[in-house]
Amino acid sequence: MAKRRSKTTRKKKPRNDRSLFDDAGGNNGDGLSNGIEPIALHEAAQSRYLNYALSVITSRALPDVRDGLKPVQRRILYTMWQQGVRPDAKHRKCAKVVGDVMGNYHPHGDQAIYDALVRMAQPFALRVPLIDGSGNFGSLDGDAAAAMRYTECRLAPITTEILDDIGRDTVHFRPNYDGTKEEPVVLPSRVPNLLVNGSAGIAVGMATNVPPHNLGEVCKALLKLLDNPEINDYQLVGNDAIQGPDFPTGGQVLNSRAELREVYKTGGGTIRLRGTTKPGPATRSSKILHITSIPYGVNKATLVEQIAQVVLSRKMPLLLDVKDVSTEDIRIDLELKKDADEQKVLAYLYKNTLLQSNFSVNLTCLIPTENPEVGSPDKLDLKAVLRYFLNFRLEVITRRLNHELRALEKRIHILDGFALVFDALDQIIKIIRASDGKADAAKKIMARFKQLDAEQTDAILELKLYRLAKLEINLVLDELKDKKKRAREIRKLLNDPEAVGRWKIVKDEINDLYAKYGKTDKRRTLIPGGEGVEDPEFSEEDFIVAEDNHVLITADGWIKRQKEIADPSKTRVREGDRVLACEAGSTRATVALFSNFGVCYSTRIIDIPATTGYGEPVQKLFKLKDGEKIVAAMSMDPRVANDIEEEEGSDLCPMTHALAVSDDGYALRFGLAGFVEPSTRAGRRYARPSKGARIVGVEKVHGSETILAATERCRAMVCSAEEVNYLSGPGKGVMLIRLDKGKKGEQPDRVLGFKASGGDRDLLNVETNRGATKTISTTKYRTTGRGGRGVEIQKNGRLSRVVPEEVPPPVQFGEEQT
Amino acid sequence: MTQYSAKDIDVLEGLEPVRKRPGMYIGGVSSAGLHHLVWEVLDNCVDEAMNGHATQIDVTLHDDGTTITIADNGRGIPVDMHPKLKRPALEVILCTLHAGGKFNNDGSGNYKTSGGLHGVGASVVNALSKKLTAIVKRDGKEYKMEFARGKATTKLLRKKAAVRGTGTTITFHPDPTIFPKTEFNPDTIRDRLEVVSYLHKGVKVSFDDRVNKKKVAFQHSEGIEDFLSKIIKDRDAKPIGDATFSLDKENGQRAEIVFRWTESTDEHVRSFVNGIPTASGGTHENGLRAGITKAVRNYIETHNLTPRGVKLTHEDIREGLIGILSVFIPDPQFQGQTKDRLNNPEVQSFVDGAVRPGLEHWLNHNRTAAEAIVARIVLAARAREASRAASASVSRKSATSNRLTLPGKLSDCTASNRHDTELFIVEGDSAGGSAKQGRDRAHQAILPLRGKVLNTETASLKKVVENKELADLITAMGCGIGKDFDPTKLRYQRIILLADADSDGHHITTLLLTFFYRHLRGLIDEGKVFIAVPPLYRVDVGKDTHWAADEPDRERILAEHANGKKADITRFKGLGEMMPKTLWETTLNPATRRLLRVDVKDGLETDRVMNDLMGKDPSARFHFIMDRAEDAVELDV
Repeated sequence: MAKRRSKTTRKKKPRNDRSLFDDAGGNNGDGLSNGIEPIALHEAAQSRYLNYALSVITSRALPDVRDGLKPVQRRILYTMWQQGVRPDAKHRKCAKVVGDVMGNYHPHGDQAIYDALVRMAQPFALRVPLIDGSGNFGSLDGDAAAAMRYTECRLAPITTEILDDIGRDTVHFRPNYDGTKEEPVVLPSRVPNLLVNGSAGIAVGMATNVPPHNLGEVCKALLKLLDNPEINDYQLVGNDAIQGPDFPTGGQVLNSRAELREVYKTGGGTIRLRGTTKPGPATRSSKILHITSIPYGVNKATLVEQIAQVVLSRKMPLLLDVKDVSTEDIRIDLELKKDADEQKVLAYLYKNTLLQSNFSVNLTCLIPTENPEVGSPDKLDLKAVLRYFLNFRLEVITRRLNHELRALEKRIHILDGFALVFDALDQIIKIIRASDGKADAAKKIMARFKQLDAEQTDAILELKLYRLAKLEINLVLDELKDKKKRAREIRKLLNDPEAVGRWKIVKDEINDLYAKYGKTDKRRTLIPGGEGVEDPEFSEEDFIVAEDNHVLITADGWIKRQKEIADPSKTRVREGDRVLACEAGSTRATVALFSNFGVCYSTRIIDIPATTGYGEPVQKLFKLKDGEKIVAAMSMDPRVANDIEEEEGSDLCPMTHALAVSDDGYALRFGLAGFVEPSTRAGRRYARPSKGARIVGVEKVHGSETILAATERCRAMVCSAEEVNYLSGPGKGVMLIRLDKGKKGEQPDRVLGFKASGGDRDLLNVETNRGATKTISTTKYRTTGRGGRGVEIQKNGRLSRVVPEEVPPPVQFGEEQT
Repeated sequence: MTQYSAKDIDVLEGLEPVRKRPGMYIGGVSSAGLHHLVWEVLDNCVDEAMNGHATQIDVTLHDDGTTITIADNGRGIPVDMHPKLKRPALEVILCTLHAGGKFNNDGSGNYKTSGGLHGVGASVVNALSKKLTAIVKRDGKEYKMEFARGKATTKLLRKKAAVRGTGTTITFHPDPTIFPKTEFNPDTIRDRLEVVSYLHKGVKVSFDDRVNKKKVAFQHSEGIEDFLSKIIKDRDAKPIGDATFSLDKENGQRAEIVFRWTESTDEHVRSFVNGIPTASGGTHENGLRAGITKAVRNYIETHNLTPRGVKLTHEDIREGLIGILSVFIPDPQFQGQTKDRLNNPEVQSFVDGAVRPGLEHWLNHNRTAAEAIVARIVLAARAREASRAASASVSRKSATSNRLTLPGKLSDCTASNRHDTELFIVEGDSAGGSAKQGRDRAHQAILPLRGKVLNTETASLKKVVENKELADLITAMGCGIGKDFDPTKLRYQRIILLADADSDGHHITTLLLTFFYRHLRGLIDEGKVFIAVPPLYRVDVGKDTHWAADEPDRERILAEHANGKKADITRFKGLGEMMPKTLWETTLNPATRRLLRVDVKDGLETDRVMNDLMGKDPSARFHFIMDRAEDAVELDV
């Protein structure tokens, strides 16, 4: 990027002076003078995007592998430490903390900072909360915390372990955003915070999602790795180390141990997590199941709402009611039918609600680089995460020892001075009494005692008078001895290239941490170990309570199901509408709806709205095209639709199949077996009528029927159904009746409707345009071959429609259930 | 003063009251009243047609401009002797008030519904005519009778020769002693006849205007559907979807309804009762409105199309609706000053009850149209909300617009000429405030955007236009987008992106660059798009203030000016942090500022880079970041 210094002159130019724009004359002539430089779009975009992306990656969204904190978290904790709001102090207003964080270190929105603070105090968000909040800090139901002017906070006891060493030159500091202060690049944490509390963040081009873990288990794993640096990833995951994630909200992990090992080895993978339940009391008609924990990150209110939706929609009829009776602990009561199979109900909820959800692990974090001020992103495996932490601990301890050593050496130096002059104290007092002030005294003392340097002299001058007592020298000598001993120890520790001693300190500290916090912290999330959790398999149908229903669809496409429709003709329909079909079937069975466009839509009967009203438009269930409507419906319940199976290898058509006729005079027969399974919203084709032609009807046939068809221009066709070809796939069919093309400018004749007649008394009624009714039957007209012009019913006038037959009552099944 | 007594009470006999008080019957003697005579006779013909007896109506305005002949080929007015009054029925009808065949409409009567109702129409016309001739063809015979001022002047005459067909022909000449002006307006009549022809499909209506020597004939096989097409065409409205909703329902009362949604922003429904226009609406129109609203709401609910974040009002649902409602009812009651507001309460539920299920069914069976209509309704609702929010309207028709529809948050410049004007797109309101105060108001306009802009790399044009921030930007620039894009309409000479100099500012700049590159490429090609360079640091050395664009610049300034003196360095986070004057001096002032003009140098490379950075594939981004991490300068902390 080119650099240019802006003009610093404060010459005030008249604002509305056109001459300001002198350079911009002509068309769009922005001459490149006067501060305008060209830049290639892709370069401008690249450099800016890169800046944004790296800023987000290195200082916003990803945690540091060492202290497991994102910058905003680190700044909050450091600010609180500086403010002295430690575990033993009084709570402090959050607004005060946020204000200092924002003003000193974090130049971003206050709400974002407060949100980060709140999260660190939420016991359901962090496995080990780092902040002790007082007031409303939000809930599992997604309620937000109270505003920051109300809430108060202080550091949690364990956070001391993260910050305690900060004053001992243990970590690198860098200038803050305006160069006025310094802030730590990382906190000298003794707690393996990245694994214990986890982290989630979306950066640019990468993201992170570390699950929380049990502190005790992480400590064990760290010790294991310390003892055996060559240990493999698998050994770090097990009963004596990390068993798996341990979420603050409990729940149960379903993955097998092998799967978890794979996740930790690759640093990525999916953890399947579900809530836990336990049986509750039963009443006369129902029984209760308590949900005692929910998956991590799931909003409890949303979950309860989802379950309530299941109850309301009657999709799982065994589940009667849901109540959230949680207090501090989670308890959601599920009311089940007395004889319900809990496993089945839960299986449905696991599948259809957040009661079971996935956690995608992504162990991406910032790892230290040569530049102490920035980290670089990397996706790690478990062992690397632990390794980085241990190395960091060693570094912190080394730096701490160095710091201590420097302090010791300083003290030893001063004590040496004391020891030197102790016997000559009287002289020194004399010199001081005779001197003109401190500077003069120092000069004179140093002239008298050549061995003393300025620092020692200064310390002597600062001595308190009581220290002139006789026994004080012993104290000085004792201290000198102690200090020298300690300095020797530290030097030894520091000078050992193998750092054995320092590693021991690392280990001791981890042991201390374990004893103090890890031992008592019981695991909350259940881990099956071994093979994981195997679920009993339930198919879609298992969730449907089998019940015999009647499905009714009207000519206008209103569809509904009811437990029983004794007489379809008594069903109330909208004005001008009529019942098209009424079919019987189990809720587990399907019903096939045939449209005039040659498409068959199949749906499970359970999915048809159950109502005593008009029903719902069939377009809600399926994606019908413009002008498309249902012309026939058939139950696919095997008790109704029997013998529809096509015989393997046989070219005979099945006993029961269907016959469709289109208004342009074509007809086809086709099998029904392909329409039993539920279709998509787009349906399946059963016929391909020519362009503009419409199917006028579909009927179930056995092949022995006689087809009676009528056309608008008073033609009737009577032929055997067997003559119509049986197609194995959707097609146009064969010509049933040769229609009159009509004179020029006239519409061709069209088929109005048909009937597959089972006998002489099975008639087709048609209505003329004068309103008269005529019948077509096998007795009235001779049966001919198909493809002819048909018989003329009457000379003049036209037929207006085929009179719809009364829909027969649906099959009534017996009591026994299939 | 005379005594006021019984002898002073007059009872007007026969047609006398009509002549005494014409206003009571025809609403006055003005031009409207005069034409009312024609409508009365015409209504009788229409009644014949409506009830299926007549197929043709011929109106002739004679060359004197005041004599008019109205003929139909209906059944002909009965001419036989009235059993009670012992006079030909024709005479009874034309000379007696409240005589007619339309009182009885229980189904057994001769008319089911009619426009003429009170049995006054024909007799009123007769009473107010200087001369009226009635010719009736019936049963193969032709009868003729003449009247003057309501009184028969001849007997019922029968033509000797047999004639074919049936029908009634009335010729009349308004009485100049009643009407100050007796000349008819041919255009008024013509328009009315055209409407009649639309409302009664198939009926042939001809008009022979002998004053202007013009003959026209109207016949519409599709009736009001043709009418609707004509209205839509006349209003230059763009219909939504390609299907028209039409409904014809009869149930003692009859309603004929057609409508469709268009892109125009108003609602236009023409309603008629028994063929008579009802300009002020009434219960039938209310029923239509209620029915449409409920049906559409039902459809939206059933198919889970309810939009998020916006409530649909009934005005939204009917916005752009153009329709015709024609009802035929037995006993219309009118109300209002001009008697053009229907008042029958039962009509409302009748029309509502017909429209609601009908429209719902239609929507269900015309998915394409239905979805387009719902989209249009949601758009209307959003536009309403948006316009309320910005207290200025969002132009929906096209992105190009005039100054009246500019977004409310744009602080425009005052110069009327585009020459030398600049639009600063500023990040956030806090920066917008500084920029607004610090700018040169004659030439510099400020448009603050809120937060991160939509990533348009993979967004469809539709999504772009629906995005509020970008839509405002497009409107402010005035050059349109997509196929409406016209760089000559750009309202400013330069478009300058002015984002904060922090990482989020950089992100916003990239997002905006993506938008210009993918959707308004023409502006980049013409060199209209610039990036402003605000300073990053302020360095105070003693009393001098310096601004540094970046870190090396800052170091250089320190080295040059500090000379060991203490320097205060402030890093600018947001433009809102600067005093307006500072912003002017460093970033806005054309004399001292620095601008980067955005060019596309290598088309292929640019395309690849933008796709990598902003596209759907995160791995491309990842590789870019990892490869180039070393090149980054001046990261945020």
